[in-house]
Amino acid sequence: MRSAFFIALLFIFLLVPSAHAVELPEWHGFIEQDFGGSLSRDSLTKHRDYNMLEQRFQLKTRYAIPGENLLSRWNGVFTYKGDFVLDEYFDTTGSYEIRELNFAFSPTSTVDIKAGRQILTWGTGDYLFINDLFPKDYVSFYIGRDDEYLKKPSDALRVSIYPKIANIDFVLIPHFTANTLPDGDRLSFFDSFEGGITGRNTQNNAVKPAWQPENFEYALRLYRTFGSTEGALYYYRGFDPSPRSYLDEANRQLFYERLDVYGASLRGPFADGIGNLETGYYRSRQDASGDNRLIENSSWKLLLGYEKDLGNDFKIGVQYQYEQKLNYDDYTSALLPQDYYWDQHRHLLTQRLTKYFKNQTVMLGLFNFWSPSDKDGYVRASCAYDITDQWKLTMGINIPWGEDDTTDFGSMKKNKNAFVRVRYSF
Amino acid sequence: MKNILILVTIILLASNALAAQLTVDEVVSKANNRSYYQGKDGSAKANMVVTDSQGRTRQRQLTILKLNIQEGGDQKYFVYFHKPNDVKGMSYIVWKHVGKDDDRWLYLPAMDLVRRIAASDKRSSFAGTTFLYEDISGRSIDLDIHELSSGDAAFYVVKNTPKDIGVVEFSYYIVKIDKINFVPMKAEYFDKSGKLYRTVEALEVKDIQGYPTVTKMKASDLNANSNTVTEFTDIKYDIGLKDDIFTERFLRTPPQQWLKE
Repeated sequence: MRSAFFIALLFIFLLVPSAHAVELPEWHGFIEQDFGGSLSRDSLTKHRDYNMLEQRFQLKTRYAIPGENLLSRWNGVFTYKGDFVLDEYFDTTGSYEIRELNFAFSPTSTVDIKAGRQILTWGTGDYLFINDLFPKDYVSFYIGRDDEYLKKPSDALRVSIYPKIANIDFVLIPHFTANTLPDGDRLSFFDSFEGGITGRNTQNNAVKPAWQPENFEYALRLYRTFGSTEGALYYYRGFDPSPRSYLDEANRQLFYERLDVYGASLRGPFADGIGNLETGYYRSRQDASGDNRLIENSSWKLLLGYEKDLGNDFKIGVQYQYEQKLNYDDYTSALLPQDYYWDQHRHLLTQRLTKYFKNQTVMLGLFNFWSPSDKDGYVRASCAYDITDQWKLTMGINIPWGEDDTTDFGSMKKNKNAFVRVRYSF
Repeated sequence: MKNILILVTIILLASNALAAQLTVDEVVSKANNRSYYQGKDGSAKANMVVTDSQGRTRQRQLTILKLNIQEGGDQKYFVYFHKPNDVKGMSYIVWKHVGKDDDRWLYLPAMDLVRRIAASDKRSSFAGTTFLYEDISGRSIDLDIHELSSGDAAFYVVKNTPKDIGVVEFSYYIVKIDKINFVPMKAEYFDKSGKLYRTVEALEVKDIQGYPTVTKMKASDLNANSNTVTEFTDIKYDIGLKDDIFTERFLRTPPQQWLKE
């Protein structure tokens, strides 16, 4: 069924231009060599000395339907982007990842539709996501791939409607895509079944929701500007993209619990910079009362952010995020003595510094996560040099740390690494 | 009939005499409108070549759409990057405000991410070129004190001194303005020690739809010994741009009809 969908897209691509003088679409992309050396020398994962060793070849194109047919009048645009990857970490011969394969068109002046594989992002956070429940790849994030790879594509239908009063985005995702999380092969992680930080010897597995109509996911955003300030309301109905609940303890099975999220955000000029505020109520539909120890409770999140341009190509950003588990008493009274448990409150601070040198061809960036309640953090530092318009060299370090093994960043502490990427764009 | 002709002649002479005696603020205002506010709206492709001190070049190619909200006041800009290839498809919206910070949004298509850009520093490099944001979208004329210095038959020469010297890197700049069409032909920036360190000049001016338009300009950084030459092509005025182009919708879905390669 999924492939049928792509064949249909391909059909549109091949058929429509055939009636006209075909102007071949431009192809662009890059070739990249990536290496990430481990600073932790963690013997739990497949390779002790490195986390990343791969070559990447990305090709992308955009093709606006020409001529005077219906699809061209609708501003039909076909987009493709795919990566060939030679991942030497896993000794594979190569893999092929389609990141975008979609068709976008505007059947009326106030409606945009995009169907197919696409990257979806909304919300106001910087590396923090409250109302953006679209899939992410945290392995890429931790091993030092380009930021682009933090976002995973969704196979989705996006309908955007623009009436006068507010803009509406509606997204239908028929097929669930999970977050890519450390699973022991490349990055060690905290495995509650093993009772500690675990690598390749983990036996846990996550069961994905079956592909059936009642498992379709829906995301909705209403947004508009009030002068220079942007306001948005969000609704999401689907699954937690990270498996936080237990399906079968004996068989070490986790699952992605059903989740509804109701949220809102504001972003605009504030104190000579940009301020943002975002909040979300996460309703755990399979444990709304919170008394099931195996299923994630409902929670509430709040994000405050501020970014300022200090001049001379130097910018700073700070964020504060608060998370609270709801029905916490019901949760704790249901726990068994040996259970690992979530804290009720989590406070998280982030800070971003970005400075450009030499006509913006050299970038130094530092991003810091720090949670005083979890007593953990994560330092991301990078330096990028645009050697020419084609060649780019990026180096950086990823330093997660923490007192405990169980917290978000603490569980990553054996995955410290330094990476280098060399990219040729064309 | 004869009387009317005499009357017209008198009026013309009088207006010529008036033109010769424009105040400095009128000259600056006319030059500002000429540079940044011609037509109701407009579009152009810009090809920018940055040359560094060792002769190495970088290229930026973009389409700029512009809508005047108020002459001499607020404007909206849409910028779409065609080159370099690693930023191709990025787009950028500026709601320029006079008297307060501009609103800026940047769209990164690889992540489908609309970022709000904190941008109080309008004197930072535009897209890594020798041009500054203020060269592209204009510097509010209220920020400087203007003095007419000795011009010649062809040019007004205006010295501009910032009212708040703390927020800019120059102590003053001198602009030569064409007396006939009010096109600023050259700006020279002097640093705090009075040394000339930066110039922006018009290399070519053409008549486009009756509007005298700079079609080629050069910014030079004399300290770094680097420069950027920008050529504008496909310049069109009064193309009927609507306000809604300058919104998140078209940031995510660039308006095809205005962005033909």
